[in-house]
Amino acid sequence: MSKDEAQDTQGMNYLDSLPRRVVIVYIPLLIFLFVLLFPFYWMAITGFKPNAELLSRTGNPFWVIAPTLDHFKHLLFKTAYPDWMWNTILISTISTFFSLFASVLAAYAIERLRFTGSRQVGLSIFLAYLVPPSILFIPLAYIVFQLGLFDTRWALMLTYPTFLIPFCTWLLMGYFRSIPFELEECALIDGATRLQILTKIVLPLAVPGLISAGIFAFTLSWNEFIYALTFISSSENKTVPVGVITELVEGDVYHWGALMAGALLGSLPVAVVYSFFVEYYVAGMTGAVKE
Amino acid sequence: MNRLLENRNFLGFAFMLPAAVLLLLFLTYPLGLGTWLGFTDAKVGRAGVWVGLENYIYLYGDAVTRLSLFNTLFYTVVASVIKFALGLWLAILLNQNIPLKSFVRAAVLLPFIVPTALSAIAFWWIYDAQFSIISWALVKLGWIDTYIDFLGQPWAARLSTIAANIWRGVPFVAICLLAGLQTISPSLYEAASIDGAKPSQQFWYVTLPLLTPIIAVVMTFSVLFTFTDFQLIYVLTRGGPLNATHLMATLSFQRAISGGALGEGAAIATAMIPFLLAAILFSYFGLQRRAWQQGGSDK
Amino acid sequence: MSNIDRRNFLKMSAGLAAGAATGEVLAQGKKAGAAPTLNLKPEKGAKLRVLRWKRFVQGDEDLWLANTKKFTEKTGIEVRVDSEGWEDVRPKAAVAANIGSGPDIIISTFEDAHQYPDKLVDVTDVANYLGAKYGGWYDSSIAYGTAHGKGKKWIALPMGCAGNALVYRDSHMKAAGFSAFPKDTDGLLKLMQALKAKGTPGGFALGNATGDGNVWCHWLLWAFGGKMVDTKNNVVINSPETIKALEYAKELYQTFIPGTLSWLDPNNNKAFLDGQISLTCNGISVYYAAKTSPDPKLKAIAEDIGHANMPIGPVGRPTELNLVFPMMVFKYSKFPNAAKEYLRFMMEKEQYEPWQQAAIGYVTQPLKFYESNPIWTVDPKHTPYRDAMKVMQPNGYAGEMGYASAASMADFIVVNMIAEAASGSKTPKEAAERAEKRAQRYYKV
Repeated sequence: MSKDEAQDTQGMNYLDSLPRRVVIVYIPLLIFLFVLLFPFYWMAITGFKPNAELLSRTGNPFWVIAPTLDHFKHLLFKTAYPDWMWNTILISTISTFFSLFASVLAAYAIERLRFTGSRQVGLSIFLAYLVPPSILFIPLAYIVFQLGLFDTRWALMLTYPTFLIPFCTWLLMGYFRSIPFELEECALIDGATRLQILTKIVLPLAVPGLISAGIFAFTLSWNEFIYALTFISSSENKTVPVGVITELVEGDVYHWGALMAGALLGSLPVAVVYSFFVEYYVAGMTGAVKE
Repeated sequence: MNRLLENRNFLGFAFMLPAAVLLLLFLTYPLGLGTWLGFTDAKVGRAGVWVGLENYIYLYGDAVTRLSLFNTLFYTVVASVIKFALGLWLAILLNQNIPLKSFVRAAVLLPFIVPTALSAIAFWWIYDAQFSIISWALVKLGWIDTYIDFLGQPWAARLSTIAANIWRGVPFVAICLLAGLQTISPSLYEAASIDGAKPSQQFWYVTLPLLTPIIAVVMTFSVLFTFTDFQLIYVLTRGGPLNATHLMATLSFQRAISGGALGEGAAIATAMIPFLLAAILFSYFGLQRRAWQQGGSDK
Repeated sequence: MSNIDRRNFLKMSAGLAAGAATGEVLAQGKKAGAAPTLNLKPEKGAKLRVLRWKRFVQGDEDLWLANTKKFTEKTGIEVRVDSEGWEDVRPKAAVAANIGSGPDIIISTFEDAHQYPDKLVDVTDVANYLGAKYGGWYDSSIAYGTAHGKGKKWIALPMGCAGNALVYRDSHMKAAGFSAFPKDTDGLLKLMQALKAKGTPGGFALGNATGDGNVWCHWLLWAFGGKMVDTKNNVVINSPETIKALEYAKELYQTFIPGTLSWLDPNNNKAFLDGQISLTCNGISVYYAAKTSPDPKLKAIAEDIGHANMPIGPVGRPTELNLVFPMMVFKYSKFPNAAKEYLRFMMEKEQYEPWQQAAIGYVTQPLKFYESNPIWTVDPKHTPYRDAMKVMQPNGYAGEMGYASAASMADFIVVNMIAEAASGSKTPKEAAERAEKRAQRYYKV
């Protein structure tokens, strides 16, 4: 580990001797990793444990002796879990695409058209991002009742964009800002319309930003809980997080195996999407914060 | 027609339309409606009548509401401070030259991307009074002799839910601060070490001041999300035992949706707004200005 | 038999009509003892959705679904049964009632039907039919099932109630010097003191336990003659009787094991099965769990478990509160007749008895006939739960059930009052005053 290749240690290379590094860097890092990842391991191992093993106090609980797929089978064939999965995919996808569409237009207008009052609008978009759902859900429930959207997927597809659009717009504004004005000016002189400029020049250059915003929006809608809990009542319209909490938790006996299997399956899709686009995800997250 | 399409203001209006309609209808309007509902006695299915400050007066004298305010502040302050400290530490560790760097970074962020409701179930199981793996391990190690009742005793439950919140929040803080660390030019550290600054001095006089703006933003978000947390509590304790973990968000849900008293619930939710504004203003003015002052006085 | 008759109402023997306390009985008495008939014409192509509370004992759900399947086979009516945690069903039912869409049938808890009586389908015909056929409804069934005011029309059919009783360890009671379980509140206090002295104390939930906490605290309040409201719904909780109940609670609390102030519904079950307490108040689910467990330790506890009805206080009559489950058909349903037919089917002997048996009596019947269900006598330990519905006092006693009684219970006014006085954090007088203030907020509407 020479100093030359340690370009990005960025001045922290006072920790150079190996034993010192082990104590100061590796051990704490391993502890962090262990604590952060242990619940997932625990989720997985519980999901595969037969009930007898789950409730026995003897033996080593960290391992599973006779793995079983019973909990997963129960989940897929005896509960509405597949419905919930499909709903979550549908709702997340539609609200993500709709939010991206609205955000691209809004971000372009604020950042590039510079219409009168665009700065104020940009600021209010940021403020909108700070309004938490736990303040909004009661009046929103009231509105959802009045519009007759209660217990429909529409209730979620229309309300999720309220936290997705501010975020996506804010993020895309940053990306659009980094695209040189000259490109647009040349195109304008050539007679291109604003819409053409947006679709042919700006968007292709902002693809990384679109992916970041899209991935982030998708996981945000996948994780949403309070709106789905409040606005949805029927089993077949529920999303995975709400379905698991409201229907797999029962009476005074908890079926930990099925619960953990449900949590695991429900986490997998976001984890997979995320693992393919880690860089974009991080860029999205930090991009929004850095502005 | 073409002239219109070239007009910035008209185009701006047209482009803003989809986002604006949606946000006005489902964000601005509910925000106002919620405030109004707080001044009424609306129930599920019954439009309320104006009752002035009655809800607030009642809530002010209500022991559960007061307790939930205390819980919320305690939860927010303790969790945020620890999240910040651990997050900064983790960010510095990740900023080291370590093997499998990108993999480690990806793994660290996992708690943040998984649905909170689902990871909370894992914590619920980890905290189970009879089969807790933590209790099991501690008993095996001989450190304790009875299983810990994590979610059954008021203070134990408060601390357990805070721990779960920290678990979820640390990755966010760490990754954002890491992004901030990476923007600090190495030349600054070189200059500092030439001037004879010790590592700890480098941290206090170079890293921290340069990081302050991003810390301000990250912690604003962190405080905001912690203060308004709902799912973690809803899944783990639903506010119990003895309302010891009720946050204002869960209490407003219980009163408004479970109890049907929309007006009262809305009043609790509205009562959160001043605290949120204070947090935002504090971080915006307090931390931003300090960064600017330090930047100014250093030179 | 005219068409109108067949479509609408029932024929029943006059002799049995007495069982159903209603002014709208359409009794066409012919000869006594004839089986009543009810001809509901389910709508063509009807499909039903049922929302019920999630079971506490597995047998309940298995048989309920099996019976539902039988219904579908017989009638061709598809029925979808969803179940959710019992505390979540209430808010869902309230929302469904007020928005006018949701499941056709909701099986909820306590006085829900009285919170939105005008949103519910009149089920008087089914109630009269069942009452006539099965020995009549208990008084408490009628209280929960019929709307206030003249005519007493039925707005819900009670499915029964989850009975509560005192669950105790027989050997520990004997070791404390009692050969039989005491029948009155004084005896209970002495037993608790003796158990405590022997190092095998009891404990009752004093936290915000929706089921166990409310149930035993209301029993205690009522046993001493205290009550939330009078018959005109005026708040009268701050009374000398209440103070007596609170003073008793204070003495009783001295004998509890530590920690009961934060106990929720599952805590006493766990503590009992773990051997930490020897006496508590609960449904039959503790016994069920111990009996069906493969663990020999728990099996031994099951052997040792005894059940006793809640003791009688100074008022001199039983004052239990039990968790009643009303089955409601909503007016927005497109298939009200199919829904009524489903309820009738589920309450018939062929379905109801095996279902009660599968749940080993977790649900106590609302109809007198089912007292003869062998499940109550096959194991003497089941017997105390048999009379749960017969001896109980309804919610909101002595006033009317409705929004105020539901909201006061949801706010744990009685439980908190007893917890405050028992633990000594407030004097009985202060606790009662605070409860009065809180209750007035709900009862003023």
